[in-house]
Amino acid sequence: MPYTIPVGPYHPALEEPFKVNVRCVAETVQQVSVDVGFSFRGIELLAQRREWMPDITLLERVCGICSNTHAMTFCRAAEQIAGIEVPPRAIIIRTVISELERLHSHLLWAGLAAEYMGFQTLFMEVFSLREQVMDLLENITGNRVNYGMNCIGGVNRDITDPASAIATVQTMAKAIADDVVPAFMNNVTARGRMTGIGTLSREKAIEWGVVGPVARASGLVADVRDDQPYLAYAELGFKIVTQEGGDVHARVVVRALELLESIRLVIEALRQLPSGPLRAFEGMPSIPPGEAVVLTEAPRGEVIYYVASDGGRTPARVKIRTPSFVNIPALEAMTIGQQLGNISLIQASVDPCLSCTDR
Amino acid sequence: METIDGDIPRDALIARLAAIAGSAKAEERSDGLWITAPLLDVEAMACEMKGLGCRLLTVTGMARDDGETTIIYHYVRRRETINFKTVTRGGAIPSLAPTVRPASWGEREIHDFFAVDFIGHPNLVPLLRPAGLKDGFFRYPDPALITPDKQ
Repeated sequence: MPYTIPVGPYHPALEEPFKVNVRCVAETVQQVSVDVGFSFRGIELLAQRREWMPDITLLERVCGICSNTHAMTFCRAAEQIAGIEVPPRAIIIRTVISELERLHSHLLWAGLAAEYMGFQTLFMEVFSLREQVMDLLENITGNRVNYGMNCIGGVNRDITDPASAIATVQTMAKAIADDVVPAFMNNVTARGRMTGIGTLSREKAIEWGVVGPVARASGLVADVRDDQPYLAYAELGFKIVTQEGGDVHARVVVRALELLESIRLVIEALRQLPSGPLRAFEGMPSIPPGEAVVLTEAPRGEVIYYVASDGGRTPARVKIRTPSFVNIPALEAMTIGQQLGNISLIQASVDPCLSCTDR
Repeated sequence: METIDGDIPRDALIARLAAIAGSAKAEERSDGLWITAPLLDVEAMACEMKGLGCRLLTVTGMARDDGETTIIYHYVRRRETINFKTVTRGGAIPSLAPTVRPASWGEREIHDFFAVDFIGHPNLVPLLRPAGLKDGFFRYPDPALITPDKQ
């Protein structure tokens, strides 16, 4: 006889506050619906009531994990409207912070995935590496979260000791390459727990419009860093990572391999750090009337900002579309026909962010 | 001739986009192609964009002084963003959700924020709107919170 289980919005099986209504026959999931909006903060509306500079601080708080992405994407939109050219040194610094943020996000997620699998040793290993990234970000920016690096026209802080940062990242690279990546890719227990679970075919990935590692794990060659290169990605020779399986294991492998690519990008960017100013100008910017659409590849996938200016002290409109906003609905396609006990692992494989989704 | 993704000549692409029913003007900007289309046939647009292999990124709503809402459909064609800007008619516009899955949550959000009626949406229930607020609460901000130059 069919029965329905409401999972969430606050539930130990979920990473974040949303609700998955699961209808089952025996242990097999027959129907799924997802409810969000439990953490709505009205950030888009607030952004239209604050001036351009305070908005950077506000928008950095859309998400605690990809905070730099939001602040930077907003700044890029304002720079595009105003025709501001960011200095080369600031572009490289933005690239370094973006990839360190991705490293942190992927390691956080990998640790949680290990925990969901019951792989406690791997969890501890991954979280110790995550701690090293946070320490490095703190050394550079002064903050472990919400780094406060971006301003319209450049960055607020310099990277004063790139050699030390390279040494730290190289140490992490060895641990990730020798321990973390093989554990997720080859460990028999891990593979057995993830392979064939929560599969999203290439066709379904296109139909649901998923983005980021979820899309790339289903074989879609889609990454803003490659499709519409921004910052220094074209110069650094970005390599896209894809898998064909479409299951939880494929999503894990994509993120694991992206850790190595992010490390390569950070090291290469730090080696190329040019001299020069950090900002295009000093003081408060004036943003003329105009509008801009800007895309950034956040750790979870493509982020889109539409920003409009009427020439006033505040933006006329700030629209934010986060990757979780399109990835979470696809849980329906991933979970139907699956065992009820796998719901927790499948939702975790999407790396849902409700802080981003609800804004 | 210049092409996008090596298939359709750029001029031909722009001509196809400008020929969608209701389109008035197509222009190239640094952030992609923009098609201004006050009377856009959104279903014809969705059909054409699917044929071109474009993916819907999102839908943006923006309040207008006349009570209508500007609606922007943002698409991507791998290396370029394509944006269609139209306007609701009597507070309503046809929904893309029945044929374009990623449109569903975007349209529900705009319904929450600006009270736009997406005709034909299979499930136009609140997505993010907190209990106690009316649909379209982005249109009626608390005056105490508005910054001076917006008053």
